[in-house]
Amino acid sequence: MAVPVEEAIAALSTFSLEDDQPEVQGPAVWVSSDRGATTSPIEYSDVAAYRLSLSEDTKALNQLLPDSMKHSQAELYLETYQVLDLEMSRLREIQRWQASAASKLAADMQRFSRPERRINGPTVTHLWSMLKLLDVLVQLDHLKNAKASIPNDFSWYKRTFTQVSVQWQDTDSMREELDDLQIFLSTRWAILLNLHVEMFRVNKYPEIYKLLFLQIKIFRNLVDSVEDILQALIVFTVESLELDFALLFPDRHVLLRVLPVLVVLATTSEKDTEALYKRVKINRLIGIFKSDPVIPAFPDLHLSPAAIMKELSSYFPKFVSQARLLALPAPHELQPREAQEYPFIALLNHISAIRAEHDDFTVRFASSINQVVRYNYSAEERRALVELVGYVKSIGSMMQRCDTLVADALWETIHAEVQDFVQNTLATMLRTTFRRKKDLSRILSDMRTLSADWMANTSKQENDLPSLQQEGEESKGSYLYPRPAAPTAAQVHCLQFLIYEVVSGGNLRKPGGLFSNTGSDIPAEDLKQLETFFYKLGFFLHVLDYSVTIATLTDLGFLWFREFYLETSRVIQFPIECSLPWMLVDYVLESQNAGLFESVVMPFDIYNDASQQALTVLKQRFLYDEIEAELLGRSIDLRCLISQRMNKAFRENLEFLFDRFESQDICAIVELENLVNILKHAHKLLSEDLTIDSFSLIFSEMQENISLVSYSSRLAYQIWTEMQNDFLPNFILCNTTQRFVRSPKSSSARVQKPSMPYAKPNFYCGNQDLNSAHQSFTRLHNGFFGMPHMFSIVRLLGTRSLPWLIRALLDHISNKISSLEAMITGLQEALPKSIGLLPFDGGVTGCMRHIKEKLNWTSKAELKQEVLQGIKEIGSTLYWMGLLDIVLREVDTTRFMQLAPWLGFIPNADGQILLSQGEGESPVVNLMKSTTTAIVSNPNCSNPTSFYTMSKQAEAADLLYKANMNTGSVLEYALAFTSAALDKYCSKWSATPKTGFIDITTSKDFYRIFSGLQIVSDVQLQEHLEESVQGVPNSREMLGDSVAWGSCTLIYLLGQQLHFELFDFSYQVLNAAEVEVTELTLMHKNVQGIQGWEPLIEAMKKARRLNNHVFSMLKARCPLEDKVACAIKQSGTPLHRIKFENTVSAFETLPQKST
Amino acid sequence: MAKAGGITNAVNVGIAVQADWENREFISHISLNIRRLFDFLVQFEATTKGKLSALNEKLDTLERRLELLEVQVSTASANPSVFK
Repeated sequence: MAVPVEEAIAALSTFSLEDDQPEVQGPAVWVSSDRGATTSPIEYSDVAAYRLSLSEDTKALNQLLPDSMKHSQAELYLETYQVLDLEMSRLREIQRWQASAASKLAADMQRFSRPERRINGPTVTHLWSMLKLLDVLVQLDHLKNAKASIPNDFSWYKRTFTQVSVQWQDTDSMREELDDLQIFLSTRWAILLNLHVEMFRVNKYPEIYKLLFLQIKIFRNLVDSVEDILQALIVFTVESLELDFALLFPDRHVLLRVLPVLVVLATTSEKDTEALYKRVKINRLIGIFKSDPVIPAFPDLHLSPAAIMKELSSYFPKFVSQARLLALPAPHELQPREAQEYPFIALLNHISAIRAEHDDFTVRFASSINQVVRYNYSAEERRALVELVGYVKSIGSMMQRCDTLVADALWETIHAEVQDFVQNTLATMLRTTFRRKKDLSRILSDMRTLSADWMANTSKQENDLPSLQQEGEESKGSYLYPRPAAPTAAQVHCLQFLIYEVVSGGNLRKPGGLFSNTGSDIPAEDLKQLETFFYKLGFFLHVLDYSVTIATLTDLGFLWFREFYLETSRVIQFPIECSLPWMLVDYVLESQNAGLFESVVMPFDIYNDASQQALTVLKQRFLYDEIEAELLGRSIDLRCLISQRMNKAFRENLEFLFDRFESQDICAIVELENLVNILKHAHKLLSEDLTIDSFSLIFSEMQENISLVSYSSRLAYQIWTEMQNDFLPNFILCNTTQRFVRSPKSSSARVQKPSMPYAKPNFYCGNQDLNSAHQSFTRLHNGFFGMPHMFSIVRLLGTRSLPWLIRALLDHISNKISSLEAMITGLQEALPKSIGLLPFDGGVTGCMRHIKEKLNWTSKAELKQEVLQGIKEIGSTLYWMGLLDIVLREVDTTRFMQLAPWLGFIPNADGQILLSQGEGESPVVNLMKSTTTAIVSNPNCSNPTSFYTMSKQAEAADLLYKANMNTGSVLEYALAFTSAALDKYCSKWSATPKTGFIDITTSKDFYRIFSGLQIVSDVQLQEHLEESVQGVPNSREMLGDSVAWGSCTLIYLLGQQLHFELFDFSYQVLNAAEVEVTELTLMHKNVQGIQGWEPLIEAMKKARRLNNHVFSMLKARCPLEDKVACAIKQSGTPLHRIKFENTVSAFETLPQKST
Repeated sequence: MAKAGGITNAVNVGIAVQADWENREFISHISLNIRRLFDFLVQFEATTKGKLSALNEKLDTLERRLELLEVQVSTASANPSVFK
């Protein structure tokens, strides 16, 4: 069953064609059912090719010539000749074509000037054809003049011909032909001169004819000559330009190019010239020439009317007298200020001027073309050009999209206008003005016959508008029922011609303009109506040609620069950077101007236009290939490409950040975290518009811990290496600030690191300003290691790699302890057999003397230092664990607060966690269960399975989270581990006294060794102060407070705390000092301290305070009675409060550091 | 003035012109609808292309995820002892 077309098409609109693709391109596909009614019916299809071959010749020759002397001289000549001959045959063809075109044009013009002419006209269309043909000839001539290389190439060709033709016979005719061609090529304006001769050949009729004509002329007084048709052309051109009758800019350019030549040609005799200026005032001409000083002639050539007239004046002697026209300044003679004042009528003309200026520059600086093209345009100019291209192209594509929407409305409107004029206006005119004029009224009725649509919409008239039928016969004619069908181009052309005939009366010499009413007997009012309709008709043609008109108006193909570069630099291909569209796009990308970004791909439409021109106008495949080579024509999934590149960019950026971190010390972890966060944020913002891999995926990929069995990662490994090689040996702890800082006098040389990698600002924070702000923030954290750094480590490593790091550090502790063993033994051996309690009677001085006598470890200075360093590293590690513990607690607490209401937890008074609802289910399970019940009970619920699943998942989550609620303390775990590791050395470092009593004098236990170390370093400190030795590092500067942490922990875990507190040498000295001070105070009042020992006493007091602090912390966190600690399972889940066998093997559960 | 004196058989020409108007209305109608059909096809192609490429993007992402998971599984199955 047949479906009506309209219904079928309307059905298509039910498809949903909405998507969120932005309009970033110019109009893409042109489809047109119009045939270009405005283009001339006479087609000069070869002309474009001729033009092109003129401009291509040089290039082709340079590329085609045989390249070496490998052949003999004669062969070389022959080959050269063959190559050149091919090119020259094209020139010959051009010569022939122009000759025939000129004679045809001249003959055509003469048809209107011969007294015996039998035709009417010329019609407007005919005028246009003549103008266009003339334009083609002018262009060819101009092009031939501009290409100076052509005569040179020709003389080369002629030389080779002379060489080659020696062997040939009968070359005379060929030689003659060659001479002819040479004259043609080397004579400037040869084509125009030839045309001139052809046009005025009519005046060379035999005398008898002339007499005959004269009689007829006198008789008719109307006979026209070639001058008359030229004048008619000038009048038509000037009026069209002044009234903007030429709607399309290519047409406008035709008129502008032709006008100066017409003026020159028409200046034949004084009488004719006078007649011309009577019809067209010279000021009007000057005005036109001034407003458009530069006109594009060929994509890479321009011409100037003023310059052309100046040049032609030497070939057309009669024109020399036209001083006013010759006085017009050529474009290069214009003052800059003056040039600015030149009004550019249309925006599109302006573009051509830009183009012309570009070429001008290119010619002048041809040697450094690359720079010229790139730097010729300021940023402002480029922006303006991008915006202009954007406007033109987007308006074009918007109008193009409206095509099928407005088409029938346009047809109806035009139909209505034409029918109104033909049926109503003309009817009125016929009844009134033209009643008596037989000839004219005949033309008018012809117009009606040709185009009237008397039956328009008769069906509608009958059915839909019955009321109209009741109206009188008289009024019926004035109602029109528009039909959506436009008049044909032929009808429009006919109407235009007939109006022209009515107005001019067929008289080319009609004074004044076309519609001036001097010398015409048509009343002004009718003339006005005719004029309006006449110009409307011209407009209709373009409107009916909707898509072709838009395509022509938005065609920017001429902005594609190419010729000059290729010609001057003798290369085949064009570097893409010199291509204007490319430059514009480049500019948009670099300008960072968000407003311009919308038109970022618009300039590429220039390529589209250029290739369209190459294929359909110039019809040259090789040209199309050249354009295609600059940018392949194909559709691109831009989003996909951008996503790909973004994925890559994010990976590179992370890689860079890790590289950067690896070139710095561990303090840079805060900076790393900040930068990673910035990147993450950027990722989040971009993910809204693009499909990019998830950040966690990219992150773990770049960390190289994709594998399920690897707990290490690039970052964890780097942190561990840093700690082992740099942090633990070189950083010292300040207990008061809870920070580690780099020791000012490092014991070991700094670790070698890769040099800092360089990257663009966008790999940091975005731009220079943000980066410097960020820099000043990071600088705050670069000098120390403390809580912020610990937070960063925890957040960056996450639960996956943190246990691995903890394990590595614990192993480090146990290694350090075992390496200490031998050294401690060494010190034990050097200890005197017995050291009794320090004598009180000698006071502090006595004590110190006693110590110095007994504790003589001078030979063991290095060993001492190493032991202290080892103890310091153990202390640092433990303190680091303490910091980690604090941070993890905080993280856990936050998590607890988030989870507690869901799991129904409340903490009780002891800090223990209680279930609020006893043994019942937790709130999250309850919530899900009740929701599921409610939904399932609803009869409308179609698929309850998913709700059951959700309920089950809630139960699973409940279990999982409850199990992990109370994570243990990392510090306690570390202490228990250390204690276990120490057990092996208990026998050596904590000997059971044989007597059963506490061994005071001969003990060589660990606390004894440390006591010695402590007091010796205090003594050294005192000596340093006394001798005020500068530059030698004292032990406190080198080791910091970690020594106290390390030694006190070992002492405590060995169970020697009380021994230490009782028998430590420093403590004994402090006691002695106390007694001495008391005694001294009793003797003399106002005694501040003991002479000379204050610094020592102060240091000892400080050390005691610190030791006490450490001991109290240890008692709190690691009560010795029950060895309970937490364990961390391989999955990273800590188990709290596990009772351990006191061996190292109990800690094997942590993931092992790979070896 | 013109010597070839206009239309001689005005009635016949008028009838022909009238018939031409009718024909042209039909032709315009058909051609316009063909152009609309073409417009539809162009637009259909554009949107379909857009939608397909969006789908393609999603598939690409899924593919990469799947690859990752495969790698992870392969590492796990290469070390079965860890998962006892």
